[in-house]
This record gives sequence, structure tokens and C-alpha cells, in this order.
Amino acid sequence: MTDLVQVVSIAVSLTLLAVVIELVRRRLLVEEYSLIWLVGASSLLLLACFREILHVVARWLNVRYPPSLLLLVILFFAFIGLMFFSVVVSSQRAQIRRLFEETALLAARLRALEAKQKAEVTAAHSDAADDERDRGPVH
Amino acid sequence: MLVVIPAHNEVESLAATVAELRALHAGIEVLIVDDGSDDGTAELVTQLGVPWLRFPVCLGVGTAMRAALRYAHHLGHEIVVRIDADGQHAPEDLSRLVEALGAGISAVVGSRYLAAGGFRASGSRRLVQRVLGRCLGWVVRRPVTDPTSGFWAFGPTAVRLLGEHHPTDYAEPELHLLLWRQGMTVREVPVTMRARGAGRSTLTWSRALTAVARAFLALIVAPLRTTAPVAEAETELEAR
Repeated sequence: MTDLVQVVSIAVSLTLLAVVIELVRRRLLVEEYSLIWLVGASSLLLLACFREILHVVARWLNVRYPPSLLLLVILFFAFIGLMFFSVVVSSQRAQIRRLFEETALLAARLRALEAKQKAEVTAAHSDAADDERDRGPVH
Repeated sequence: MLVVIPAHNEVESLAATVAELRALHAGIEVLIVDDGSDDGTAELVTQLGVPWLRFPVCLGVGTAMRAALRYAHHLGHEIVVRIDADGQHAPEDLSRLVEALGAGISAVVGSRYLAAGGFRASGSRRLVQRVLGRCLGWVVRRPVTDPTSGFWAFGPTAVRLLGEHHPTDYAEPELHLLLWRQGMTVREVPVTMRARGAGRSTLTWSRALTAVARAFLALIVAPLRTTAPVAEAETELEAR
């Protein structure tokens, strides 16, 4: 790996790390979801700093040009990330559905309750009016 | 018993469907679920004098049914019938569905292909239904002649289960699989399907293809799923 490639790789990994930390600091990214990015960026940084690891792994995997292994690592994390976020989106979709169902059910119960209350008030009013009429001659 | 009518943009046929139901079955309890309609169904629903649920956006018939079944369970209804708002299902068939319940039968579904006559699907759609029906039948080990039928009656156990676990999205084929996976017996009874009263079927070609793909995925996945904890739900309910 040439020095230039190494410098660029280190710069990219550091920038990625900085961006993730800044996003978490601004609360634009929750800690739970930032972990996958932090792990990805850190591994990238590790491989960029210590060429030996990259070379050993590249030889082990029969990769002729070690820096291309970096690309593989990025792809791997991107793939895991996509999978992870598909799961997150699916579960949120289920939660949103549930939420809509529950609000619809609560609204229906509220309507029923209001209707019942209204009926009771009307009944009480008419009872009071009847009493008034009955008591009328005494006064 | 509660009759549930899920409705998405059915302003033209909903009133007639409700009126017909009431005319044939006096004193019947009806619940309409307005699934994010934007054609005036929402306003109509408030004028029909029946209880209703409303979703602000369209969530699909499965979600509508899940909410409706929880509603039914909460109010103590043991039997729930699902009937389409578009007038395709004949209310005369309703009693036949309900009568078929009980004695080990947890759910009953109306099949237009068991009865002679009535409205049938067009060529390509029928082909898809046939293939889907065959595959479903092969998995659940009983004939499924009308896999996309939305005319259902659910008994007490199914009401309890489906209030929590009714499949969402384009749900009918998955419903067969879920009930089978839970060890519940489903029976098909012949019903007469009529041509749509008004409105357009929500099933377009692209949706139909997605639905088929989903149904086939469900065919593979459903047998691998663990069963939903109905037993727990039951004991919890019995304890109450």
C-alpha cells in the first residue's frame, strides 16, 4: 500500500468517526444506531494505520492488491448496516401500525363514552324538568 | 356477533352495504373501519349510525381487521364476521358462514368457487388464484379453492388470536397459513360473489404481483415460524 493510499484511508476513517460522533452529539443519531458506524469506521482506521494486518489478511485471502481489501471491509459494513436498518424500519413499521390501531380504538371508546355521557345529561335534564312540572302547583 | 366492514374509499357502496345488512339481519351489530379513505367515506361513516374506527392513513385490510377484532374482543363479541364494503359479498350468505362455526371449526371462509354461478375472477387473476390456492392447500393440507376471499367468520379462539396477530398487508392467504400454524381448523363454505357494486378494486396488477410474491414467501416462511402464544392469552383472559 502506497503512503498516499494510507494517508487517504486514515483521513477518510477519521472523518467518518468525527461525523458519527458529531451526529450523536447533536442528537441527530441515537447511540444505539451509531454503534454500527463507529465499529465500521474504527476497523477501517485500524486497517489503515497498521498495514501489516491488512497485508497478512490479504495474503491469507489470496488478495493480490491489499488496499482492495479495505473496499471489501467497507462493503461488508455497508451490507450489515443495510440489513440492520431494514430490520429497524420493519419493526418501526409494525410499531406505527400498532399505534394507529390503538389510537383508533381509543377514539372509538371516547366517542362511545361521550355519547353515553350526553345521553345521561339529557335524561337528567328531562327528569329535572318533569320534577319541576310535578312540583309546580305546590309553589 | 359483530360484523366488521373494512372500507377504503368506498363512499359509493358503503351505505348500501350497511342498509342491506340491516334489512336482512335486524338488530345486527356492525363496525366500520375506515382505512384512511380520502373520498368522503370518512364523512359518510359518521352519518350511518354505526360504530366506526378510523385510520388517518391507509394501513391495509389486515391492520383494519386486527384493530376491529380487538374492538370486538373488548366488547365481548365471540363471533366476528368480515364482509367487504363494495357489495361483492351477499349478506344472505352471512348466516351460513356463522352456522358453520363451532364444533372444532375456528374460522369459516366463503368460497365463490364452491358454489355454482355468481361472479368469477377473470382469466389471469383466476389462474393466479388457482396456483396460489393449490400451493396453500398443499401446505395447510386441505383444499383452498378461494385463497383471496375476504368473506370470513371467526369463532372465539380466532377472535382472541387474530386481535393480536392478524396478518397485515394483503392478508388473506397469510391468514390461512397462520390459522393452520396455530392448529386451528378452517372450513370453506360456498358463497355467491356479486360483481362490485361501485368503486374500483384496490387490487391493481402491480399490487397483485407483489401480493403473489408475498404469499409465496409466506408459504415458505409460515411453516418455519413458531406459533403465537395464544394459550397464554387465553389463560390470561380466563383469569380475568
